[in-house]
Amino acid sequence: MSIWPDEKVLTPGEAEFDTVDMTINIGPQHPATHGVFRMILRVDGEVVVDCEPYIGYLHRGLEKLTEANDYRQAMGYWDRTDYLAGMACEHAYVMAVEALAQIEVPERAEYIRVIMAELSRINSHFLFLGAFGADVGSFGTSFIYAWRERERIYDLFEEVAGDRMFPTYMRVGGVAMDLPDNFEQRCRWLLGSIRQGIEDLDGLLTGNEIFVERCRNLAPMTSERAIALGITGPILRSTGLPWDLRKAEPYSVYDRIKFDIPWRPDLQGDVFDRFWMRLSEMYQSARIIEQCLEQMPKGGLVLNPDLPKTLRVDNGEAYIRYEGTKGEYGVYAMSKGGNKPYRMKLRSPSFCNLSALREMVIGSYVADAIIILGSLDIVLGEVDK
Amino acid sequence: MSNKAPARSGGLPPAARQRPRADLAALVRKIGSIPFEVSETRTDVDVRIAPEHLLALVDALHNRHELAFDYLRNISGVDQSPEGMELKYHFYSFKTGYALQVTVPTATGHPHVPSLTGHYPAADWHEREAAEMFGFVFDGHPNLRNLLLEEDIHIHPLLKAHPLQAAEILQGIESGPPGFTI
Repeated sequence: MSIWPDEKVLTPGEAEFDTVDMTINIGPQHPATHGVFRMILRVDGEVVVDCEPYIGYLHRGLEKLTEANDYRQAMGYWDRTDYLAGMACEHAYVMAVEALAQIEVPERAEYIRVIMAELSRINSHFLFLGAFGADVGSFGTSFIYAWRERERIYDLFEEVAGDRMFPTYMRVGGVAMDLPDNFEQRCRWLLGSIRQGIEDLDGLLTGNEIFVERCRNLAPMTSERAIALGITGPILRSTGLPWDLRKAEPYSVYDRIKFDIPWRPDLQGDVFDRFWMRLSEMYQSARIIEQCLEQMPKGGLVLNPDLPKTLRVDNGEAYIRYEGTKGEYGVYAMSKGGNKPYRMKLRSPSFCNLSALREMVIGSYVADAIIILGSLDIVLGEVDK
Repeated sequence: MSNKAPARSGGLPPAARQRPRADLAALVRKIGSIPFEVSETRTDVDVRIAPEHLLALVDALHNRHELAFDYLRNISGVDQSPEGMELKYHFYSFKTGYALQVTVPTATGHPHVPSLTGHYPAADWHEREAAEMFGFVFDGHPNLRNLLLEEDIHIHPLLKAHPLQAAEILQGIESGPPGFTI
């Protein structure tokens, strides 16, 4: 009903306008794209009709550079792929080289690697929670909450490896150096702080009805479709398929550690479930770290002592799949002898998850397209290689 | 609120676990009727097949219920010059837990391979990447434009013949190998 008594109110069926599709460019320099990502939306009114993603603005030729470098030198490039979880990327890379060269890793080093990789995962998920909250409209609050814990994790990385984001801490055959003396104590304190941080963000976001209403039933996805599109990681698990490479094909010491894949019977793969999945996974990562601290041998080597100065690898090929923070972080490695890899290919989870963006945003509102992109949790260093 | 996020694990549906490679090699050999070779890499069973038979093999891998490869993980090109180029496909089955690598060698100067976008929508970007980086032509791909590289540049950086400093050579900072042009 109109506030003007004489005005005729048109119902949607009566109102007929000629509409013209409009093209909107978003990015590459745009805060909502979480990096240098560009998408061109075609919209009819407020509804997205088509979407064309453009990537490659951060392409640095990772694979070509890896071919040009020694097996050990090349590692520095790999923690710059998923730069929010440098330790996890390094872990995948050294696993690929170790599979090619059949190198054994001391037990203590395996536990240290898992601790570092899981701290990276928590770190990356914290960034997602903070940035996603900002996407949805909590402005900077969730960001700052997430940053408190991230700083503490980075402080620990700095103490262990000497660098925060790009630690270059893993080595083929182990890790660069042993943990500092007070590590266990600091790490346990950090886990308490992390749990508090997750609870704070949980209360701030999950407890907020506006947030939940905004994310529920947005871009739901079935497991079958997610598999066909090559989606892995928390997004696949949020469709209700509890598939995690740490359980499906256990590597390192994950087969000795008890943890659960978060699951609810009403998972439908929508934006809220993706958020919920990452939030719940962080508690599990904290559990994994706690068990590692208990099970870890208290002393011993952290680097295989039998390695030659120059690592030469026989002919062979291997495809390493690693549960990265965004999904299946695959490294295809091929050697033809010599001290450099013949081919190293990164199957980056963000790249594959992002390729499904077009299908997800068609039919949604422009404002929701931003949230859907945020819920994919891409990191452009990994998409563009 | 009911949305609180403690982990729950009751009533979890079964997730596929990895299955032994030996069983898979036997199952793949049973496909018959298509010429291919089965071997093993450090991590996977490998099937080597000519590009003209690829679609028939993928049909069998995708549709046979004992294999049921529903997930295309990765496509990776390899420059095997002077013997031409190869494509490595990595498949996984969420139903059976098998993982398989398929190698497709192409002849020098004729890098044509059928596109798998009909079977696996995930192949779309992987194939675009292999096309721009190596110069593969995926017959039947709906949109084989550059993905990571600039739209109007036609170089294939991951070929072994492509020098590492190509960008610097173009800008005149470095001198290239004799005879190199873009």
